[in-house]
Order: sequence, then C-alpha cells, then structure tokens
Amino acid sequence: MKIRKIIVTFFGIMQEVIGIATISFAYMLYYNFLGVQVSLNIPEQHVPFYLLLLFIFGFISIISGFFLLHERIESR
Amino acid sequence: MNKKEAERKLGLFDAVMMGLGGAIGIEIFVLLNHATVIAGPTIVSALFLCGIINLLTMLSFSELGAAIPEVGGEYSYAKAAFGGFLAFLTGWLRWISNVFGAALAAIGFAVHVLFFIPLDVPLLVPLMAAIIIVILTFLSVRGIHQIGTVIVIAFLAVFIVFIVGGFLHGLEPKTLYPSTIGEASNVFAAVAYTFIMFLGMRSIAAGGPKIRNPGKNIPRAILISVVILIVLYSGIAYVTISVVPLEDIAVSSIPITLAAKKILGDTGAMILTVAGIIAALSSLSTAMMVQSSIVRGLSRDGYFPKFLLSTHKRFKTPHVSIIFGSIFYILFAITGVIEFVGYVAGFASILGFAFVNLAVIRLRMKRPRMERAFKVPLYPYTPIVGILVSLMLLIFIERSAFLLGSGFIVLGLVAYHLKMVGYQRIRIAFGGMSLGMGGFTALLAYIIKTGFVLPISVPPQLTDMFFYVLVFVSVIFIIAGILNITSKA
Repeated sequence: MKIRKIIVTFFGIMQEVIGIATISFAYMLYYNFLGVQVSLNIPEQHVPFYLLLLFIFGFISIISGFFLLHERIESR
Repeated sequence: MNKKEAERKLGLFDAVMMGLGGAIGIEIFVLLNHATVIAGPTIVSALFLCGIINLLTMLSFSELGAAIPEVGGEYSYAKAAFGGFLAFLTGWLRWISNVFGAALAAIGFAVHVLFFIPLDVPLLVPLMAAIIIVILTFLSVRGIHQIGTVIVIAFLAVFIVFIVGGFLHGLEPKTLYPSTIGEASNVFAAVAYTFIMFLGMRSIAAGGPKIRNPGKNIPRAILISVVILIVLYSGIAYVTISVVPLEDIAVSSIPITLAAKKILGDTGAMILTVAGIIAALSSLSTAMMVQSSIVRGLSRDGYFPKFLLSTHKRFKTPHVSIIFGSIFYILFAITGVIEFVGYVAGFASILGFAFVNLAVIRLRMKRPRMERAFKVPLYPYTPIVGILVSLMLLIFIERSAFLLGSGFIVLGLVAYHLKMVGYQRIRIAFGGMSLGMGGFTALLAYIIKTGFVLPISVPPQLTDMFFYVLVFVSVIFIIAGILNITSKA
C-alpha cells in the first residue's frame, strides 16, 4: 500500500500541475501572450473554441488530481 | 422589551455608515478605467443604473436579513428558502465572488503602491499582489483582523474634496447619456463590469438584526446609502472623465489619481493614492474574513472536507480555511489583469443576486407567516425585476471571465454531487474521463508526429517538444484514470 500512496501522490500532483498549466495556457492564448495565437496559426474567431476545450481539459485534470490527493490525505 | 428588541441598538446613521463602509472599497479606484473604455462618458449613466439595479436586490437582502438573522448571508437565506443544491450554489457563488474580490483588492493595492515606487520591472504588480496576500494571511491567522478598518467619514471627505475640487477646476461638458442602441448596450456592459462597486451595501442586511425599528430604518438606510454612493461614484467618474483624456484613462491603472494630480496637484494625487491603498487593504481583509466564514459554513454542512473547520491551537483562528482561500487569491491575483478578475467577481455576484431575489419569492410562498421586520415594497415585481435584470447583465460579462466563472460552477456541481451521489461513483466517472482524455492526447501526439493536417500549425522546431509533452500528459492521464477507477470505496 505504501507504493500506491507514493504513486497516487505523484500522479495527483502531476494532474494538478497539468490542469493549472492548461488553464494558464488558455489565458496566454486569449491574451495572445508571447504571440501564441500567431505562432500556432489560430484565427481570432476560433480562440473561444480552444479556450473552452482547454478549460474543460484543465478542470477535469484538476478534479481528477484532487481525487488522488484526497485519497492520500484520507489514508494518513 | 424582549431579547430581540434589546439587541437592536443601531440607529439610522449607524446603518447608513454600515452600508457605506461595506461598499466603499478598492473597486471605484481600479474598475473605472476599463468601465470608461467600455462606455466612454456614458459611464456616469452606467453607475447611476448600476446603483438602481443594486437597490432592487438590496431590498430583498434586507427582507431576508431581518427575517433570518444568521451568519452566512446569501447562503443562509437560500438554505431557508430552497435547501439542497440551490442553497449550496448560492454559497458557492458568494465564495467565488469573494475570492475574485480579494484578488482584485490585492492587484489594486499593488498598482497604488507602485505610484510611490515608479519602477519599470516586469511582473512587479503580480509579485506585490502575492506578497500582500501572504502578509495579510499571516496576520489573519494570528487573529489580527482590523488592518484596514476604513474610516468612512474620511473616505467621504476625500471624495467630496476631489469632486468639489474638480468642479472648481472647471470641467469640460460631455454627453453623459446614451443616444444610440450601441451606446445603450455599452452602458449595460459597464454596469455588469462595475456591479461589484455597490455590493458591500449588503452589510446593512447582515446587520439587520441589530438595527432599531428595522421596518423603517433598513429601507431608509439602503435608500440613503444608494443615493450617496450614486452621487459619489458618478461624481468621481464625471470629474475623472472631464479632466483626464479618455485615451489616458484607458491606459492608466489609477485614473482617479491622475485626475487628482490635475485638479489638486501632487498632494491631491498622494492623498487619493493613500486612500486607494487603505481601501485595498480594507477590502482584502474583509474578503478574507468573509471567505473563511463561507468555507466553514459549507464544511459544517458537509459540502467541503471537515479539515477546513480546523482552528489554530494557539491563535484560535480558522487558519486552514484562511490559507485555503489565500491560495486561490494568489492564483488569480498573479494574473495582474484587473478587468478579468473584476468581471469574474461580477459574474458570481450577479448570479448570486438572482438567487437572493428568488429566495424572497420562495420564502413568501413557503412561509407566509414568517416574522418579517421589513418587507420588499411592490412585491412580487421588485424581486422579479431584480432576477430579470441580473440575468440580462450576464450577457455582458466578458467571454473568458464567463467561461472561468462557469468552470467554477462546474467544480461546485462536482463538490455538491460528491455529497449527494456518493464520492466513489463520481470518482470512477472522473477516472473514466481522465482515461478517455489520456487516449485522446495520445492520438493528438501521434497526429502531430506523423504530420497529419491539423487546424493549428505547430512550428517545425517545436514539433518534437509538443510530441513529448503530449505523450507525457497522456501517460499521466491514463495512469491517473486507472488509479481513480481502481480505488477502494
């Protein structure tokens, strides 16, 4: 069970990090920070669609990671 | 005299001060520039309309505050009226509004402090915003709450000097009302953005149980507060747009300070900046306390984990719930984007206001004989108009803020269903989603590597990096999905 605890902690943290990074990337895309829209060749009218996708991806990642971290906290 | 009557010690003046003290915060200092970008000179009409719209819901707040004298504000009212999901959602929206309000205050603090330290260092605003949150969190955990106690009279004096000074300075006349449909639409967009400027007036409703003769004093206090705030905010906006060119307001984070400098010189600018700093500290400190009480209320009812109820052994403060909120404040304050944070706070507040109006109607039907020291005038039209106007304002919320706000509501739905549907089922469902997304990401990595046509073009030098990142994410998601699905109940 100790190995599961370590794995659960690692993957929980990774999913939280990926979720936050995805949402941050969504902001970068929206505000065209560092010219992201141009370098990825994303037309301005398509930005809301990508924002929605990134937000859904990010939130699912955060929630899934939360479940793993919660298991770790509860098993203490 | 019964016990309830004995507790009613505050008169009309105290009630008005309570409303003004709650409402005058950092918002007027930091939201004015973008609001002016949206509405131009008609910002004055927008602030007037905003005050009137807020008044409708404040009347509902007052009826509920006087009838349900409990800590928790909107959450307690919705709990009495609906119970279940709508009660939770109302509490959740109040929490979101508070988190973003605190983030706004932290950013506001940073931009005002930078007036005294004119350094051109990138990311200084987010850094300072994060630092002030950490400091106030530390002080709150130690039980020191009265950091930014605002002397309402001093604020009023500063604003009156600013407005009178502006009129004596000579103002350029502008058309303050919309003349086309496009301009009217801009006015509503500015109302949605500046909505949170009047929110603090709900302090009157919260203090309802302590106000003498509530049937008369509460509506009077609300009306007087709204009139004072409308005159004050509209006056500040009018003076600012009249002495500072619109293009300068658009690029300044401290438009009132700019105007004060033109009217009253360097001393005026300094006074307004100090007022902005004090307002920011006061707003942040209040938001921290309120956020903590909402989180504890939701934890007590089983929606949030119980560990959030913990209190500090030495300082006897709810340190876990304070720190929990501060993590979110920092997360959003470091964006440094005032408009975005302001819009999300507005989004949550507007939606929450709709539920408060709905709660009045529901309680009148459910418990018609309930003791109500104050009743909303012109019922049911007042709360119905309040609901309709609130829902209409949501249309004008900026898209990315709307998306993030909606994302938070989805998170709230998950938290609620964890309690109602059962933790394990939800966990398995998210495990399945994680697994599916892992597979999708692997497919995306394959497509990028093999050079298939994509709607986005990845620069050739970044193809390998994108591929490896996607493979990594895919592996994480697949394993995390398996771990969630195979967990024991």
